[in-house]
Amino acid sequence: MELVGNDIAYRYPHAAADLFAGLDFRIRGPGFHALFGPSGVGKSTLARLISGMLPAHRGSIAAQGMQRVLYTYNLERLPGWVTLRRHFEETASAAGKPRLETLLDIFDIRPLVEARFPRLSLGQQNRANLVRYLLQEFDLLIMDESLANVDEATRQRIILQMKALFPERCFLYISHNVAEVARFCGEVLVLRGRPKQPQIVSVSGGDQREGAEPDPARLERAMLAILHAA
Amino acid sequence: MLHRRLTQFFILYLAGVGVLLLFKLALGLSDYVIPGPAEILRTAHAYGTAYAAAVLNTLGVAVLGHGLSILLAAAVAVLARLKAWVGGFIRTAAFNIQSYPIVAVAPILFILLGDGLVTRLLIASLICYFPLLLSFLGIFSEPVREIEHFYEATGRMTWRLQIKIRALENLQKLTTVLVGSATLAMVGTIVAEFIAATAGIGYSIRIALYQSDLAKILVALLLIGIGTSLWLVLLERLGAALQRKLEGP
Repeated sequence: MELVGNDIAYRYPHAAADLFAGLDFRIRGPGFHALFGPSGVGKSTLARLISGMLPAHRGSIAAQGMQRVLYTYNLERLPGWVTLRRHFEETASAAGKPRLETLLDIFDIRPLVEARFPRLSLGQQNRANLVRYLLQEFDLLIMDESLANVDEATRQRIILQMKALFPERCFLYISHNVAEVARFCGEVLVLRGRPKQPQIVSVSGGDQREGAEPDPARLERAMLAILHAA
Repeated sequence: MLHRRLTQFFILYLAGVGVLLLFKLALGLSDYVIPGPAEILRTAHAYGTAYAAAVLNTLGVAVLGHGLSILLAAAVAVLARLKAWVGGFIRTAAFNIQSYPIVAVAPILFILLGDGLVTRLLIASLICYFPLLLSFLGIFSEPVREIEHFYEATGRMTWRLQIKIRALENLQKLTTVLVGSATLAMVGTIVAEFIAATAGIGYSIRIALYQSDLAKILVALLLIGIGTSLWLVLLERLGAALQRKLEGP
């Protein structure tokens, strides 16, 4: 399982300069990886390029063993005309349906399943949105600030349990939280604004698993490396 | 909602009648030109029931014409979102046609179809059709990305689902558009009855006009106002009820 981007160039229509030029990156194997960088540097744009929502002007993105790529972002809404449970049941894939009850517990959504989306808090809305994506068939799920507005303890629990539940899948987690990506992610792609070259630097994260204690020294090294790269 | 709308109408109506009576007093006009309050009340008593039936007749045609327009406009707007150039062409055409006073073609319909229900229905539909079409085109061609993205990404999007999302997400806007165009349908029906009808309140007003009987016209206006207010409130209530149903408990 590998995702490789080569010499990618992209410029928004009417923009004065390229957002990306000669951008290369590589993500290996299943697991939880991160895309990190300051606001406006192009994280969401790169995520859309990877998911095929935007066509790159130059270069290529090759996905080996990742045929089904899904992209989700934190502003998404579920339709307000049905309850969460009905929406989950109607949209879950055949393979995803048996996971529903487990995910409801992991994401602490069970008490809310008979509610409708607009009645939820922002954090609950983001958790509900992520649950429905985890009920789909996917090889790579790009999570663009998908756990925004969720408290830190719940976020950490969710990430650890997601890693345990989907050991064969690949996640690309977009976040501004350096401590979080350093602790939980395997590879951290640090995206830097132009004219810095290379535009992406890869840093190894702590990749903490469920039941394991974080290694403070390794975590500190990863955080420093990420901050230095950014 | 009903109370407020009726109160607003009565205030406007009474203000209008008051201005007429002031003119009458100030200029010393005869009862033949502007009838006094007693004459208006006497006419209301004599013709109220017949005019109420005529308003109901007009309202029936207006509701039918409005319904016809809604169906047609919705169908064309749904078709228009299939291809961008088709949508653009229909939008431009609708915008240009809308700027033309449709009521001016009413005599042509009268010549072609004669007087009667079909002509009234067509004129009522035509008058509210283009504003409805433009609003529907806007609503159905504007993506609700935050909801649609999931269905697109997972390959579940169908045109029916897309229309459902866009309609339900813009329900309040749709209700406002439908209520606004309902008034237009009523206007269209009355105009059609002025030109080409043997029934309805517009036809009654035309007869009163030939008789120069302002009291009859004032009674007709009062009943038109009450009938239209009731219809608009009914539409607003239907929209609000649907909104509440969608939002759930």
